[in-house]
Amino acid sequence: MNKKKQPGQQKSDADLKRRGAKIGDQLRRIYEDVAKEEVPDEFLKLLEEADKKKSSKPSTSDE
Amino acid sequence: MTDDPATLDDATFKQELTVLIPHLRAFARSLCRDASQADDLAQDAMLKAWNARESFVAGTNMKAWAFTILRNAFYSEKRRSWRRQPLDPEVAEATLVSNSNPADALELLALRNALAMLPVDQKEALILVGAGGMAYEEAAEICGCAVGTIKSRVSRARKAVIEILESNSTGYNSDSGMSAEKAFDDIMMQADEIARAPTS
Repeated sequence: MNKKKQPGQQKSDADLKRRGAKIGDQLRRIYEDVAKEEVPDEFLKLLEEADKKKSSKPSTSDE
Repeated sequence: MTDDPATLDDATFKQELTVLIPHLRAFARSLCRDASQADDLAQDAMLKAWNARESFVAGTNMKAWAFTILRNAFYSEKRRSWRRQPLDPEVAEATLVSNSNPADALELLALRNALAMLPVDQKEALILVGAGGMAYEEAAEICGCAVGTIKSRVSRARKAVIEILESNSTGYNSDSGMSAEKAFDDIMMQADEIARAPTS
C-alpha cells in the first residue's frame, strides 16, 4: 500500500492502473456500504401507511 | 380503466419499490452531508414515488425513475446549501469507525472529502456512474441532460478527484495526471460493463 516508489523511476502503467482501480473500488464501496445496510423499519412502516391510506380512500381500482 | 397494461398494480409496484430502498438510501447518502438528512431525503423520495406510481410505465427502468424523484426532491429542498459542502465530522467519524483497517478508512475518507469538494453536478454524475454502477444513459435520464453531458461531467469529476487526492498525498507525483486519468478510464469502462447487465 504505502510502498515508496523509487526516485527517478517512472510509475509503471500497471501501478497507475492499480491506483485507478482502487479509487473505482472505493467509490463503489462508499455506495455499497450503505446499500448493504439493513433498511430501517421506518421506511417500510411509512410505505405500509401510505398503502393503507390509499386503500381506505374511494378508489377506481378493483384490486 | 383498471386494465392499463402500462401501469403496475399496487402490490407489484410496492414490492419493486421496496427492493429499491437500499439504493435510494445509498444515493441519498452520497448526496447529503449526514446520514439522518440522507434518510429523510430517501423516505421523502420513496413516498413521492409511491404517490406517483400511476405515472410509472411498467417495463421501464424503475431505479432511474425513482432516482430522478430523489434528485428532484434533493434540489428542491436544498436551494441554498448544497454547493461544495465540507464533509461533516460525523460522516468522517462514521467512515473511520465502520472500517477495521485504519489505512483503508483514511483513504475512503480522503475520497469522500474529494467528492465533497466537487461541484454537485459532477459529483452526482460520478456517484451514479462510478459508485452506483449506472450506465451513462441511465445517469443522463436521471439528471435530465444529454449522455454527452454526463460523460463530460464524469470525466471532469474523475480528473478533479485524482488531482485532489494527489495534491493531498505527498507520495504521488502530479506529473502522472494524464496516465492516472487514463487508468481511471478503465475503471469507468468496467463500471459501464456492470451497468450494462440487465437491471430488472
